[in-house]
Amino acid sequence: MNYEVVFLKGALAFYALATAAAFVYLYNKDDKWSSWMFRLVGVGLALHLVSFGFGMHYFWKIPDNRYYFPINSFFGALSFLSLATVAVFFLIESRHQLGILGAFVLPWAVVGTGSAIIFANPAAEGLVPALQNYWINIHPVVLMTAYAAFGNAFGVGVALLIQEHQIKSRKPSELCYRLPSIEDLDDLNYRIIVWAFPVLTVGIIMGGIWAYSAWGRFWGWDPKETWALITALVYAGYLHMRFVKGWRGKKAVYVSMLGFACVLFTFLGVNYLSPLHGYLSGGG
Amino acid sequence: MTRILRSIRFNIFLGALIAFFSAVGTILPQIGQEPERANAFMQAHPLWTKFLSFFGLFDLYHSWWFMGILALMAVDIVLCKLWNKPPDAGIVALPPELTNEEDLETHLDKKEAALKLKPFQAFFTSKMGLDDAWKTARGHLKREGYAVKEEFFLPGTAGAFVGTRHRIQRWGSYFAHIGLVVILVGALIRSLFGFVEMVPVLEGGSRRMQRLFDPRSFSERVRELFWGHPWTMKEPVDVYVDKFTIEYYPGTMNPKLFASDARVMSGDQLLGQKVIRVNHPLDVNGVRFYQASWGAGGMFRSVTLKLGKETLQLPQRTPVKIPGTPFTVEADMMLPNFTVTDGQADTASLDLKNPAVRLMFSVGPHKTSPLWLLKNYPDICFTEDAQGQLTHAPAPPFQLAAIDPILFSGIQVAYDPGFPIVVLGALMWLLGMIALFYMHRRRVWILLESAGENSCRASLGAWSSRGTREYEAEFGALAKSLRSELKSEDNFQMTENPIVEVS
Repeated sequence: MNYEVVFLKGALAFYALATAAAFVYLYNKDDKWSSWMFRLVGVGLALHLVSFGFGMHYFWKIPDNRYYFPINSFFGALSFLSLATVAVFFLIESRHQLGILGAFVLPWAVVGTGSAIIFANPAAEGLVPALQNYWINIHPVVLMTAYAAFGNAFGVGVALLIQEHQIKSRKPSELCYRLPSIEDLDDLNYRIIVWAFPVLTVGIIMGGIWAYSAWGRFWGWDPKETWALITALVYAGYLHMRFVKGWRGKKAVYVSMLGFACVLFTFLGVNYLSPLHGYLSGGG
Repeated sequence: MTRILRSIRFNIFLGALIAFFSAVGTILPQIGQEPERANAFMQAHPLWTKFLSFFGLFDLYHSWWFMGILALMAVDIVLCKLWNKPPDAGIVALPPELTNEEDLETHLDKKEAALKLKPFQAFFTSKMGLDDAWKTARGHLKREGYAVKEEFFLPGTAGAFVGTRHRIQRWGSYFAHIGLVVILVGALIRSLFGFVEMVPVLEGGSRRMQRLFDPRSFSERVRELFWGHPWTMKEPVDVYVDKFTIEYYPGTMNPKLFASDARVMSGDQLLGQKVIRVNHPLDVNGVRFYQASWGAGGMFRSVTLKLGKETLQLPQRTPVKIPGTPFTVEADMMLPNFTVTDGQADTASLDLKNPAVRLMFSVGPHKTSPLWLLKNYPDICFTEDAQGQLTHAPAPPFQLAAIDPILFSGIQVAYDPGFPIVVLGALMWLLGMIALFYMHRRRVWILLESAGENSCRASLGAWSSRGTREYEAEFGALAKSLRSELKSEDNFQMTENPIVEVS
């Protein structure tokens, strides 16, 4: 029995329950739903960590993989990205206690772990020579942490757009009072992006340094690199729009959402473009 | 013109342009990245190709106009940083027009008004004289970690000072942007002076690099300059691969390791020697030799043919007599990953996924038609006619037991003198980012005005690099502790638009 998958299924179940609780909380004023959501997420996160631990255990059974993280495969990458997304969400939620954010972020974790279980192959495989480098423990981890944070910012952005729509409509519903003010949501969106943007760029640069030691070039305009750069440019655009032109609210959120679309494309879409750098090809 | 160039808006536009064309380059096949796909596309769409290649769209990232946009952006960033003051309130102190003492005395209200414009304010009356309050307030701010700068002090009338924490945050943006420009300069140096050359070397053989290079190190060059040697010397260089090793993960064809025992020679002089593995290149005076790829080109030392109980070693293109029969057999060709294309034998790749060998049997002057044997599928066999067309043949009574191929090692030689500069720029970017986004600059202005012998009025204004929410609580606490230090008993005297309330 593959305990990595078993525990991941457990984590998925708790994420799904937490998502359900978060959605109930959107329409029900009782705070018990949000505290249940938080607890369920906590349990899911713990199970997910155990699953990752088992993943590591299976991965290290191949001696050449030892002490490298199992995030080279599509399964490992999806699992880790979902783990990071939930972990970042857990941190934000424990600091800000928004309660409603779960409804907009946790679905990503459900989709991530779910598609890992359904579509990806959990079998541990030996690392190809290019990936046998300590950078595999740093470069993808750093980047996926940034992606996870952007996922959370996207959730905040969705909440902001809903709130904006509520306020502008003639008959704002219960939801309007559940959601924080547009200013608060805009501020949180900005704060998450401001935290994640340096992480993203530094992750890209680390990739360049690794590429220099493995392939002999810092930058090669490989589709994965290029799309990561495009993502960084879009978020840089967001930051400049805010700083310089004072964009707030809806306009700024649209730019940040475009950034997240680029994140998704960098993570998934590029697999079909890049022969070198995709999960499907087993490259770095 | 410079107005446009130095505007941040124009730079954002350039960034968007770079993002757009970068995306185009990932969709349209690029000669630099995927030469086969690019060529296939060109052959399939000749008309489009004419148009697209006119604009260099098949080598977009190295086209003059794309490089031009990048260079323009680098110049613009520099211009932006030279001309535009950082968009923050933090460097604007109290109104600077009040310089002499008389003005200060008559216009203290303006100072107070200026404080009321700050995002955070607090006002209270202290039960201390101006001199004491002044010392206490300054000391308190210093203890809280603020760097205190005196603005003015008029004994018996008023005094003002500014305290700042994490001042370095202000330079984060400069540092990061300069770092970005340094990275671009590094990339430019690479494209001007660097090179990449692919050198495939057969195991046990050598290959001369197309590019000549100077075998001397930098310090040697400097030393030899004094003895009349030229600064640059161009020598031919040979790459030897004495042994090539490939290991697979058990039960798979996934390579676990491939390595070349390589030497780099300039004539008789050994420039470097190392077992090169992926991720572990050989460095010769900054020129790096990477293990990039490997493959089987169709050469082999021998194949082992199994005939019943007997085995035969067949060197390439050497007829060998089969003992006890009048036949001789010759193995002349190998394909590493056998496949059939248009009815003919072909290879799908250069790795040994499905190796096949062509055999020819002969009796005296009579030759049979060539026979293809597959090592992994002993039951499958093809005969080849004179036109090279293959036909299935029944399973033969002999099998390929082993193939000892001569592999070639793909050594990529790269020279990138810009890399250290890129790393320097990356470091600057990192430090700049940390300062800009992870440090929290706060600035507090304090104006103390005498209101009798044992009393003075304190006005506080503050600004934070992180917007209102983050600093609100901290400023509240600071104002509150300052109030108790200054022995104030009143509640806050609130302005019309109070932001911070301390009770």
